[in-house]
Amino acid sequence: MKISIVIPAYNEEKRIGKVLKDIKKYKLPVIVVDDGSTDKTSLIAQKYSVEVLKRKINLGGSKGAALKTGVEVAFKQGADAVILMDSDGQHEASDIPNFIKALEKGFDVVLGSRNLSLGVPLIRFLGNKFASILINLFFGIYISDLICGYRAMTKEAFEKIKWESLNYAVETEMIVRLSKTKLKYCEVPVETIYHDKAKGVTIIDAVNTFFDVISWKINL
Amino acid sequence: MIIGLQITAIVFSLIMIYFAILNYRRGEINGVEIFSWILIWSVTIFAISFPDILRTFARAFSITRLFDLLVVGGFILVISMVAKAYISTRKMERKLNEFIDKDAKKTARNFKSKNVSEK
Repeated sequence: MKISIVIPAYNEEKRIGKVLKDIKKYKLPVIVVDDGSTDKTSLIAQKYSVEVLKRKINLGGSKGAALKTGVEVAFKQGADAVILMDSDGQHEASDIPNFIKALEKGFDVVLGSRNLSLGVPLIRFLGNKFASILINLFFGIYISDLICGYRAMTKEAFEKIKWESLNYAVETEMIVRLSKTKLKYCEVPVETIYHDKAKGVTIIDAVNTFFDVISWKINL
Repeated sequence: MIIGLQITAIVFSLIMIYFAILNYRRGEINGVEIFSWILIWSVTIFAISFPDILRTFARAFSITRLFDLLVVGGFILVISMVAKAYISTRKMERKLNEFIDKDAKKTARNFKSKNVSEK
């Protein structure tokens, strides 16, 4: 199975190097999507012989858009599956083999699941659980860690759950679209290290996603 | 209505007409838009100058006070403008994203078939 890793990155010059260094040992091709960074993220990524796609403008937390750019390029280049990772060092490269194993077992979508009782800020823990329950009520699918960005999917799965969200609602939208398909999915436990509490999903993003959920319930 | 408030509102409306004409001369708005804006502000000046005319409308909607009519009208105007701005921002965001996406993918073509490995 041909697998590529896609990493969206925005102003991660401090951590992208370590992330790419850790991934390198798995000898998988990597696509870094620089989402309009104003620092040296691209330059640092290029040192690790990975493909760097430069989105020249950041649309304000446009993770969904950056992911889509990277994933579409990976599949166009012939990948059968992609693994999505965050660029802030939150995800451990040592979990990559678990995703590959699950894909090889025949799962179409593999969702990373953080141990939310360890090291996760309380507000995030509660928010995440509330969101999981809400999605379960609305769409009949329960995912223990709804917003974990560490995921993998096959090309076929991507075609079925292709997201429209440009922002941080992307992870939730993937799950909502997944609930409408018959794709095989599983969760794998992943390690998480929180470096920067100011980055990632904020309360405002969560509120926006809540309205998106209502809109998906009506439109999808 | 207080005369001072009327004068302020009329001056404000005239300034807005001036800006509309300025934008038209700069080519930022077209003929239909300049006509619409001048019409809107002229009607506003007329309504401010003869507020009793509005009472007829207020009675038609069972609104007793003129002030209430203005508040309701203001709310409707603001909500519709916010909705319009929201939709147009979303459209712009999507179009901008398409452009950024295409531009980013242009550089990827040079790497064709290089970035995939067998596992």
